[in-house]
Amino acid sequence: MVVSALGKFRIIDLSTEIAGPYAGRLFADYGSDVIKVEPAGGGDPARQMGPFYQDDPHPEKCLLFLCLNCNKRGVTLNLETDAGRRILRDLVKTADVLLESFTPGYLDSLGLGYDALSEINPGLVLTSVTPFGQTGPYRDYIGNDLVYQAAGGMMYTSGAHHREPLKHGHPQSLYLGGITAAYATSIALYARDVIGHGQHLDVSLAETAAAHHYQPVIRYTFLGAVDRRAPKADTNNLKSTGWQGIVPTGDGFISPTLRPPRRALSGAEAWKEYANLIGRPEIGDALAEAKTSQERDSVLMPALKEVGKFDYYHRIMSNEWLGGVVQTSEDLVNCPQLEERGFWTEVDHPVMGKVRLPGELFRTPESPWSMRYPAPLLGQHNAAVYSGELGYSKEDLIKLRQQGAI
Amino acid sequence: MQDALAGLRIIDSTTAVAMPTAMHIMADLGAEIIKVESHTLTRDETGPYVDNDPGEEPWNRDASFQHLHRSKYSLTLNLKTPEAVQAYKDLARVTDVIVENNRAGTMDRLGLGYQEIRSIKPDIIYFSNTGFGHTGPWRRYAGIGSMLELISGLSQFTGYPDEGTPRRVGAAWFDLHVAWMAVFAIMSALHYRNETGRGQWVDFAMYQIGVSTLGDAILDFSVNGRDGKLMGNRHPIHAPHGVYPCRGDDNWIAIGVETDVQWDSLCRLTGNGLVDNPKFSDALSRKHHEDELDAMISRWTEDQDAQQVMEELQRNGIPAYPTKDTRELLTDVHMEARNFYERFAHPQDSGIGKRAYVSRPWKLTDTPSYIRRPAPKLGEQNEYVMEELLGLSEADVARLYELDVMGKRPSNTGGRKPMDTKAALEEGTLSQIDPDFMKTLRYE
Repeated sequence: MVVSALGKFRIIDLSTEIAGPYAGRLFADYGSDVIKVEPAGGGDPARQMGPFYQDDPHPEKCLLFLCLNCNKRGVTLNLETDAGRRILRDLVKTADVLLESFTPGYLDSLGLGYDALSEINPGLVLTSVTPFGQTGPYRDYIGNDLVYQAAGGMMYTSGAHHREPLKHGHPQSLYLGGITAAYATSIALYARDVIGHGQHLDVSLAETAAAHHYQPVIRYTFLGAVDRRAPKADTNNLKSTGWQGIVPTGDGFISPTLRPPRRALSGAEAWKEYANLIGRPEIGDALAEAKTSQERDSVLMPALKEVGKFDYYHRIMSNEWLGGVVQTSEDLVNCPQLEERGFWTEVDHPVMGKVRLPGELFRTPESPWSMRYPAPLLGQHNAAVYSGELGYSKEDLIKLRQQGAI
Repeated sequence: MQDALAGLRIIDSTTAVAMPTAMHIMADLGAEIIKVESHTLTRDETGPYVDNDPGEEPWNRDASFQHLHRSKYSLTLNLKTPEAVQAYKDLARVTDVIVENNRAGTMDRLGLGYQEIRSIKPDIIYFSNTGFGHTGPWRRYAGIGSMLELISGLSQFTGYPDEGTPRRVGAAWFDLHVAWMAVFAIMSALHYRNETGRGQWVDFAMYQIGVSTLGDAILDFSVNGRDGKLMGNRHPIHAPHGVYPCRGDDNWIAIGVETDVQWDSLCRLTGNGLVDNPKFSDALSRKHHEDELDAMISRWTEDQDAQQVMEELQRNGIPAYPTKDTRELLTDVHMEARNFYERFAHPQDSGIGKRAYVSRPWKLTDTPSYIRRPAPKLGEQNEYVMEELLGLSEADVARLYELDVMGKRPSNTGGRKPMDTKAALEEGTLSQIDPDFMKTLRYE
């Protein structure tokens, strides 16, 4: 009896850093056998990126690497050696997906491009995650999260009007690239039953960032309108509350949003209800009578300074209004909703010990999410995979190691 | 070429941005997506209208709707009537997946919850998207992408450090994020069903999808006690890493150096005081003197053309790109070579003409994905669904229109306004209106 959604798939994950490994992790979490193949020697560069467990910069204590590679088995392999390439070909024979993030053309140069690999295994899906994709004039350009957010257009429309464009502060484009690679790979696996063979999937990280920008694109292609950043009036900290901006409370930040529930409520009634909700009924009339948003802000902003961020959030949300609270990592760790949902999971890592980290993404009761093992140590499963599955003897493994192949 | 998702039928009971996006991705791949809406409710119109004119039938002229609901069918069902509820169930019998994003409990109240549907279609995949999930103290809270960006913890890093207040990013960032994970979740349930014959209910919470991307930052707090901070455009380790002014008004180049090799190349190019300066000789020193470093790089970029300096930097192996505005994106030679903005010619009688839309950030070699047809007019496929899929007679269908179970004209026909582009220009949220945009897009 199959109990996991994606347990029938084996994924060879050659990808490094964040985007590709996140895609591999998603498959692994829903049951796939994901073998993470790290470069022999230092392994995945993500091991050096940090943050580190108790701030100890040890390659087996990288918390980023831990989060991206749980539920995978790990081997090392040097593709620059003949033996390394032969082993990869052997691994590909039983794989459903080869996930990689090398520069376009690199695998081809090793004789391991899509055409060569599909000859070995016609059902193989080759998923390539690269900065600008496999084709086009910039295919050899290099990138990182900053570059993708610029190339995608979203930086130009983010930030203050008179200041430099602003990127998302966490490397979100890389995670989004991972999600994109995962869903498109899953579609290619589904299509295999329709068309009878695998195919090459080309994911562009610059395009994953650009795909978010559909609204500005529509405004241009329908009206010729070019979006800029926040309004001119939004300078320094003086954000307009009417703009879904973020404003300070006494103990943090919220977005007032000011969107009342769908039930009919006249403007004045809405302002009075809002003032009541946030516990400041005395400002209801002033909010209702304000002629401009600046005038309204001059009443509202000082009032919001007096409220607590979660008090605001719960009062607004439980009464079917809409608002937001800027949660910090500390808030998330203590969030009652995540606790109740069983979101957190714990792994027992051989070097770090017990660590609690984000777990279930979405709930599929018939084929549940599971945490089976923590991220692999460098080469942890070399013997299990190379001897146990590919039939290399113990002596062979020693020689492969001495020759720098694993 | 055969379609990847040929033969797959999905009922799309969703609104807003995230789930409609998930559905058009699958529709572009050849799945039959039937968008169930009601003529008794206002259509999801977020503008602008074609040529900024709501026209006679604004509900069929909304540009966002064209993007979000392309390649789909439309069926109108007024679910307040028992006939509509019955039709929904009959359609569910011949459907693979139901996707809905109502608040927890709404579908149950309509008599269309998972248990009800499963009793008539045992292998149904029933996908419920909510802000926070169907359990827990926040389950009734409304969730929209622009707020979940804050609530999920993403905003704690986003903003200018000297300003001290977080900022939202100016894009439908969060919505697309969950749209893509939703496709992954739906595909996972389909793989499982194809193997075991079993359907299931998927309880999908947008909040969790966002928090899941912050594992490293959350552990940095829970293990090391370090809370997130506003990053501006900087990187926790590397420098230089930011945007630098270029020639002209509001032109910038993003440069992010991550290795000593890249740094050496940059020094050779700039040729000013960066070379052999002990303040910048290694990554740690550069990080310590980042303000000074940024000022020196700005002096080098400020008289240069953003596109040219990008090409020069990239030729020398340095990650860089201009922060392009929409016009520049739509004329970007690389994006154009990859057809990232998909050109689509609407039918003559729609009055919509030729437009370009964001396509998809990937390519598959052997199965096609493209805009199959324009977004449906309200109730455009009512007859197809009722007659061809459910076997009703023309007279039966006419009766459904008489009973107000279906309709092709919304009850609410007024109140639509053009976008006030003049106010947006004055306010500054638009930088310009390009009068020659059709020529720029080579549509004239």
